[in-house]
Amino acid sequence: MPPDARIDTIRIAPTNDPSHDELRRLESGLDSLQAVPDTPHGAFRRTLDGVLPPILLLIALVAAWQVYILIAKPRPDLIPGPLDVFGALASAWSSDRLQLAVATSLERGGLGFIIAVVIGTPIGLLLAECRPVRRALGPLLSGLQVLPSVAWVPAAIIWFGISDATVYFVILMGAVPSIANGLVSGVDQIPPQLRRVGTVLGASRFEMATLVVLPAALPGYFSGLKQGWAFAWRSLMAAEIIVIGGNIGFGLGTMLDQNRELADLSGVLATILAILFVGILVELVIFAPIERRLLRRRGLMAAGLR
Amino acid sequence: MTILTDASVAVSPTALEPAAITIEALGKRYGTGPLVLDNINLSIPAGQFVCLLGASGCGKSTLLNIIAGLEKPTEGAVTVASGKAAVMFQDAALFPWLTAGRNVELALKLRGVRRKDRWGDALELLDLVNLADAADKRPHELSGGMRQRVALARSLAQDRKVLLMDEPFAALDAITRDLLHEELERVWRQTGRTIVFVTHNVREAARLGQRILLMSSRPGRIANEWTISDTQTRRIESPEVARLGDEITDQLREEIRRNAT
Repeated sequence: MPPDARIDTIRIAPTNDPSHDELRRLESGLDSLQAVPDTPHGAFRRTLDGVLPPILLLIALVAAWQVYILIAKPRPDLIPGPLDVFGALASAWSSDRLQLAVATSLERGGLGFIIAVVIGTPIGLLLAECRPVRRALGPLLSGLQVLPSVAWVPAAIIWFGISDATVYFVILMGAVPSIANGLVSGVDQIPPQLRRVGTVLGASRFEMATLVVLPAALPGYFSGLKQGWAFAWRSLMAAEIIVIGGNIGFGLGTMLDQNRELADLSGVLATILAILFVGILVELVIFAPIERRLLRRRGLMAAGLR
Repeated sequence: MTILTDASVAVSPTALEPAAITIEALGKRYGTGPLVLDNINLSIPAGQFVCLLGASGCGKSTLLNIIAGLEKPTEGAVTVASGKAAVMFQDAALFPWLTAGRNVELALKLRGVRRKDRWGDALELLDLVNLADAADKRPHELSGGMRQRVALARSLAQDRKVLLMDEPFAALDAITRDLLHEELERVWRQTGRTIVFVTHNVREAARLGQRILLMSSRPGRIANEWTISDTQTRRIESPEVARLGDEITDQLREEIRRNAT
């Protein structure tokens, strides 16, 4: 058949057939009866629903903490109050150390994560589509995912010295297995029916991969990316705590270790809060909106999470 | 490739009609397991609506998959005169990341239709199943019946003369199924396609088929066949359908009883 063949068959629809009109009206009626009524919440309402509960919980926790300090009066160098911690946070901010640490860590984490995506994605594709590679490399990759990537720090220091390369190496060892495994499980979870449809529709190998397999694997791949980011961020913090000195920059982990050396518990807790906050921010600002959009478009979102 | 547009071809096939599907001495077994299909011989004229009926596990879906080229026969041969066949499954199997219109359009794209014609053609195909308004809806926003109609439009987009259907309406409620029978029959009369329709629903077969093939189980053979000479549209509640259904059900039960130990 020439590639530009047109459909002739559908142009012969008789429109003057009364029983056809009858059928159309019946179908339309049934369609509207069976249609799922959409109850959209406004963007404002959705944001309010998502933001209000965690903020209320945060306020309650800080209040309980303050009440405990007031009643039990513990030693401030062992259990500082919320005001001390926020004071430490404010002084780190005013001396620009906090901004520097967050910027350094975010830059390393982001760059390391991007490199991990670039390396992990082809590995994942190869594993998912090539059976012998999967048998050989699969268990190793799952094992690497369980191995805490901090365990690589001593080896990395010997190989690369006290440098950024060490930090990036540890990030990669943490994130690449998660990303590759996420893609593999995304591909594994594709309903076999979708591939059959691709075959029936006459997709070539390349078309099957780009038009069917990759889009179908996207939700699994995306949760792999999320996990990969979490592993990258954790590995980075661990590496920054251990790898100190040389020409290495000042990150959040470095700041944490400095505060420990000064026995400044308020500073330590303030840094932990900052690390936590960056993690939550990245999740809320980058990953959550993409994921929500991805899942909602496919009807995979549970009603309660809309 | 020419397309059958002559309605009389679809309505009154004769033995002189060239066979659209020829099956010769077909056998199938999985590995060293028992025979699933045994010595199936079948010739289906172009434009015929054939219902393939049998109990669960009789190999009717396997036979359909072999005709579709999704599985290989162990013995014998299948020839589809027009080349490949379009297939529709029980599960609509629409791509969940595409809208209804894009799903149909993808089939056109994989067939090689030019980009500028695709969207218009997709809308026409959706209109053929009365879903032109749902083109921008995603599969999860559609009801089961609507999804199957999109799947029907998608398989028509392949523009192949043979349409294979594997229990396409089995998961639908009775009212929707009834309407889809009408829709399918209308599309069949309009497009003159050869349809092989697998079902385990006797009434459905008696309602739709011009020719009904009853399969026995383990191994699957063609146990009996009925040809309906009256080619008028039948209603599923009509006495003819009921009478034919009774007759087929009796034989089907006989076949099932043979498997009792």
